[in-house]
Amino acid sequence: MFWRKVKSRSDHEQHKPYNEVQNKAVTLDALKKLVANMDDVEIIEHQINPKKRVTLLYIRTLINQERLNEAIIEPLIHHSPASINEWISVCKVSEVSVLDEAQKQLMGGSILLHDCSEDQWFAIKLENPLSRSIESSEIETILYGPKDSFSEQIEQNITLIRRRLPLTSLKTEMFTVGSLTKTPIILMYIEGLTNPELVSIAKDKIHTIDYDIFLDSSQVAAFMEDNVHSIFPQFQQTDRPDLCVYALGAGKLTILVGNTPFVLIAPITFFDLFISPDDYIHRWLVGSFLRWIRYISFVLSITMIPLYVSINTHHYQMFPLQVLFVLLESRSKMPFTPFWEAFLMLIIIEIIIEASLRMPTKTGQTLGVIGGIVIGQASVDAGFASKVLIVTVGISTIASFLVPNYFMVKANRLLLFGFLFLSSVLGIFGMVLGTIGLLAHLNGMTSLKQPYFAPVAPLHINDWKDLFIRAPLRWIKTRPEYLHPQQKWRYSRRR
Amino acid sequence: MPRYLVKPYMIWGILGVGLLSQINLMLLAKLFSSNYYAKGYPGFVQLFGKNAVRFFTFLGLFPILVKIDVLTLGVGEVVHQYIFPSMNSNWLLLSIFLVCFYVAVQGMEKTIRFVVIVFLSTIWMLIIFCPFFFPPIASLHDLYPLIPHDWSGISWSGLLLVWTSMSGPEMLVYLAPWLSPKQKMLKYLTIANTISTLEYLLLFTAALLFFGSNYLDKTRFPVLDMIRYLQFPAYERIDIVLISLHMFVLVFVNSILMLLFYGAIRILMGKGEEQTTLKGFTASLLIIFVSSLIINQWFWKSGGEQNIWMNLQIGVGAFTYFLVPTFLLVATKLKGCFKA
Repeated sequence: MFWRKVKSRSDHEQHKPYNEVQNKAVTLDALKKLVANMDDVEIIEHQINPKKRVTLLYIRTLINQERLNEAIIEPLIHHSPASINEWISVCKVSEVSVLDEAQKQLMGGSILLHDCSEDQWFAIKLENPLSRSIESSEIETILYGPKDSFSEQIEQNITLIRRRLPLTSLKTEMFTVGSLTKTPIILMYIEGLTNPELVSIAKDKIHTIDYDIFLDSSQVAAFMEDNVHSIFPQFQQTDRPDLCVYALGAGKLTILVGNTPFVLIAPITFFDLFISPDDYIHRWLVGSFLRWIRYISFVLSITMIPLYVSINTHHYQMFPLQVLFVLLESRSKMPFTPFWEAFLMLIIIEIIIEASLRMPTKTGQTLGVIGGIVIGQASVDAGFASKVLIVTVGISTIASFLVPNYFMVKANRLLLFGFLFLSSVLGIFGMVLGTIGLLAHLNGMTSLKQPYFAPVAPLHINDWKDLFIRAPLRWIKTRPEYLHPQQKWRYSRRR
Repeated sequence: MPRYLVKPYMIWGILGVGLLSQINLMLLAKLFSSNYYAKGYPGFVQLFGKNAVRFFTFLGLFPILVKIDVLTLGVGEVVHQYIFPSMNSNWLLLSIFLVCFYVAVQGMEKTIRFVVIVFLSTIWMLIIFCPFFFPPIASLHDLYPLIPHDWSGISWSGLLLVWTSMSGPEMLVYLAPWLSPKQKMLKYLTIANTISTLEYLLLFTAALLFFGSNYLDKTRFPVLDMIRYLQFPAYERIDIVLISLHMFVLVFVNSILMLLFYGAIRILMGKGEEQTTLKGFTASLLIIFVSSLIINQWFWKSGGEQNIWMNLQIGVGAFTYFLVPTFLLVATKLKGCFKA
């Protein structure tokens, strides 16, 4: 927008964040106060020799008990070590002096060790990594290509990316968000390739995040996106490492969020949401054809039913007589106007889709199939919907699922209702006005301040090699221009 | 346009006007090399002085308002006649203005960027006219005579209409701050001018081949009436779709003009360098909308009054397209001389 409201500082900005610990020196009493009423806290005091006494403080549920016994308890009991470094040689040890830092380490799965003779506090990393094994992606399935997917373990996710990109220039910068959840965020990019401006924009946005709970990357995206009220996703969420690597190689950023398998990719364009990893595995002609099918399906899914309503309500003269007879016969016993007929059927379809998602997998599938067929047939027999509409709704609904991005599928359904309303009021003219509005909206949107409708608007004709078609890889010599990467060319040898 | 040109030899008229337009664009391209226009409002103040800029802005408000009103009402009338004959045309105007408002409210930079989408959404429509160049629809003798027997038959008003149809680039001077200074303006202006000229040639020739000179002036909207005759096996009345798609062009042009109108109002009120506001933009849009409604309600119903508005728009468009580049170029040169 060319107008901007100047934000006034509200009162809550002055509030202290919850659970803030002042930067006091670490003492056992202060720590005990912090962990009061926590049943899973263990405090062990041990006299090594007359001169040396240590205190261990840790949260049982966050650390690896086996490693604790092997690396700390056993050497402590059997060897009576003279110094901390001699004693603990297999773990990451860091000295702690501030209470805030001690709390962070404690809650991050470290044990706190107090050397009473020296009055020093140490944090020893012994976290218990709860993680799933690496499985294949359930959301973005492909027949050929890499099968692994991210898990909730952020370090494991970094490993999956690093294995594919063995570069020291692949930078990882860590941030923490959420005053309650203390969710770790890792910003990843390839230094010397990614536009530094993008990195600084992303960092600024992360720094401004101020909220209490972050349980998924979509919540982080919600605080980082430029257009809060848009129905279109401005960050791509994926659990596929290969997609992340491809994005990093193109000059994009990835944002890994702790405790969720979904990684954010930014900046993205509207057209990125139609790209599937399959496209780069198939022969280029097949990949291009499949991409076209997806684009056409998207258009069909939001225009087919509104077209049916438009033509039946306003423009019946657009059909030749033979086709018109079929329509008339189909709608001859309808008690509703085309708009209400379509609206009711769409609501029913949405209910079935939502119900089948909430049900257990097998029941959900049965419900979808049975519900769709039975309700569809019954509504035709009962005279609530015409046969033509049932066919149209069926095709439109199936077509909407061809878009690889789940969030886009949902946006799609909302768009459909908007177009349905416009078509009922102003027919095809209304649909075109809606399309203009939609395209203007997409044209005005940004993702990490980069144009969302690139490479169409602004026009970057070079990027069209991987837009509506997927040209042979050897032809795609440059990285996306709209990202302004520091290294434009994809090949490294002189040609 | 074909209705006003009628005779086949007016093809040369379109080409001639296209060439004249190209000369005008060369003058315009020279303006972009000047630093005054790249600065926007401060540059104009530097060139003319604050009061003179306000005076010129006041003069400029009228052509912008006329252009928006006549374009919107003209297209609105076509939509009313061909798509929704029974609907109150004020509702159509409201819907068009709402979309224009949404496009324009994104800001000048994004509205300018929207041109790519508009171009890609509408340029393919020219392909629809290809069947009119082939028999049995086309008859070659309708293109004769290509040389006029007598010069009195030349429609000067038609040529003026072509010249007005070519107008619009003069507004680019006010958009200079949003355009990249590195761009080769003349190259792009030439491409645009060529496309426009070829488009008018194509439409006029197609209309001639379809109607012939004798019947061309008997129909009010020849291009749309031609399209109505095209049929596909499962689809008729393509004109409904094409007229609707033409909204892309109207909305884009209107949005740019609305932003210019708002800018002009701000300059008049002495707020040229202040932050733009949504309230101000909405208020300026309301002025335009209300003026459109008033013209539509009381001055656009009968043929005669409508012609007055059409002629006014043709005159104003032709005048600004001719005068603005020349005047600004002369002013820039004079300023340079006085400086030296």
